[in-house]
Amino acid sequence: MVAPRANWKGFIKFGEVACPVALYTAASSSERIAFNTLNRKTGNRVKREFVDSETGDPVERDEQVKGYEIENGQYVILEPDEVAAAVPDSDKTLKIDAFIPCNEIDDVYFDKPYYLAPDKMGTDAFVLLRDGMKTAKVAAIAHTVLFRRVRTVLIRPHGKGLIATTLNFDYEVRSSEEAFEELPDLKIEGEMLELAEHIIGTKKGSFDASTFDDRYEAAVAELVKAKIEGRSLPKKKTPPVSKQSDLLQALRESAGIGGKAASKPAAANANKSAVRKKAARPAATRAKQSAAPTRRAG
Amino acid sequence: MAVRPYWKGYLKLSLVTCPVQMMPATSESEKVRFHTLNRETQNRVVSHYVDSVTGKEVKDEDEVKGYQRGENDYIMLEDEELENVALESTKTIDISTFTPRDSVEWIWLDTPYYLSPNDPVGQEAFSVIRDAMEAQDMVGISRLVISRRERAVMLEPRGKGIVLWTLRYGDEVRDEDTYFAGIDEDETADSDMMPLVQQLIKKQTQHWNPKMVIDPVQDRLLDIIADKKKAMKKPAKAKPSASSKPAPSNVINIMDALKKSVAAESRSSK
Repeated sequence: MVAPRANWKGFIKFGEVACPVALYTAASSSERIAFNTLNRKTGNRVKREFVDSETGDPVERDEQVKGYEIENGQYVILEPDEVAAAVPDSDKTLKIDAFIPCNEIDDVYFDKPYYLAPDKMGTDAFVLLRDGMKTAKVAAIAHTVLFRRVRTVLIRPHGKGLIATTLNFDYEVRSSEEAFEELPDLKIEGEMLELAEHIIGTKKGSFDASTFDDRYEAAVAELVKAKIEGRSLPKKKTPPVSKQSDLLQALRESAGIGGKAASKPAAANANKSAVRKKAARPAATRAKQSAAPTRRAG
Repeated sequence: MAVRPYWKGYLKLSLVTCPVQMMPATSESEKVRFHTLNRETQNRVVSHYVDSVTGKEVKDEDEVKGYQRGENDYIMLEDEELENVALESTKTIDISTFTPRDSVEWIWLDTPYYLSPNDPVGQEAFSVIRDAMEAQDMVGISRLVISRRERAVMLEPRGKGIVLWTLRYGDEVRDEDTYFAGIDEDETADSDMMPLVQQLIKKQTQHWNPKMVIDPVQDRLLDIIADKKKAMKKPAKAKPSASSKPAPSNVINIMDALKKSVAAESRSSK
């Protein structure tokens, strides 16, 4: 077996203990369908051009520089080597600054995962760190220069080895509190919650990545074929939206105990549901019609 | 906070459906925002699109997607046509499976988005799905077409909303055995050292804090800019900042190093 090539080599250091390690890309992105951008009028492809905003002249790549606006259209220019100089020299060391309990990790910061494995002989310290973290149920926070950028890295045990995940910086992540702050504080209890929990129970399973494949490219090819043959694919229907007043009934039917009487609770619900116009009404009736106890195959 | 939704569609659990919207949880934005300038004139550089044959500028509204059929042979696809592609997963997140949160390993998580109701009419249905997952400590698994790929996605309740993760395809995650082959299956931590490393971990354990993900380089860039700004007024000498490079201690005896570490930690925390 050919030994895989490391993306980075250096040391991991916790306290006064250091050991040589290497990082390997753990995940790659697969290809996606590529479209070209065309000029609708001519059918020709378009290409991007960079021009001077005042003179309109094209500006070549190496004539383009980064500028930081200080005030009223005045810029400070930074050459690439000056930007690069802001990155400290690499000391080739993943220095563990802190351990954090696994259940406190905010995974929204996750960027890219790397397998972290011992480099050269001597796995003692590596195994010690791995098992120590496993037992304490913690992950480690380390900083280092990776690929010419200062990165924060989260390190945690994974099987026989470790995984180092680069983390996005604070200014690159929106907080979930902020994102959801305008949502109402709705807590669902009682029968509705029980029904929904029951439905979840009927759909218990596991995630198996190998069962998911990308059907998009084939679907686009089909669309293109239809277009060439002069057919047009049916317009997608808007799914029927569950109205608040019908929610309980929809849940009962989903749970397979529907059919009879949307009795008191539904009525109690109905008066608090604001009446929405639009597709809501016909949609809800359609939901009832299709409320057979069988589940549609997805 | 007026972020335009990245995607709009429907969340569906069996016969319950509600309109939802989604936005990325992360952004490419930088703290120090640069513009591209023309070095010679110091004017801003802008980009536009030109016809590759005629060389004439192409207006935004004249741009259309092209599906390549052969060399220089394209089929134009309007956005409305693409909407009709025969996959429900372009518009509807139909939760097919629920699984315990712990059963989906972190390595599968690709990109996070925030999912929230898009219309007051769906708030209660959205909350039912969210709260039931929360109560059961489950996450939902579904499919969604996002940026030209149909992905497996995971839905996880978070506060008042739901975090939607795109999950990696099976062949995107490399086989760990290739990389961990050098580690002996049976090798476990030395039992004499374990208590010491546990002590060290305990002493260095902190609560998660966003300060851990501060970017020092962006602050340095601001310093450089400030210096240059001053220099624009009165010429001053540049001062390169020397960065110290602590060489990793070449440790031969792990036990000694561990003892030293624990002792150092004890001193610092009194």
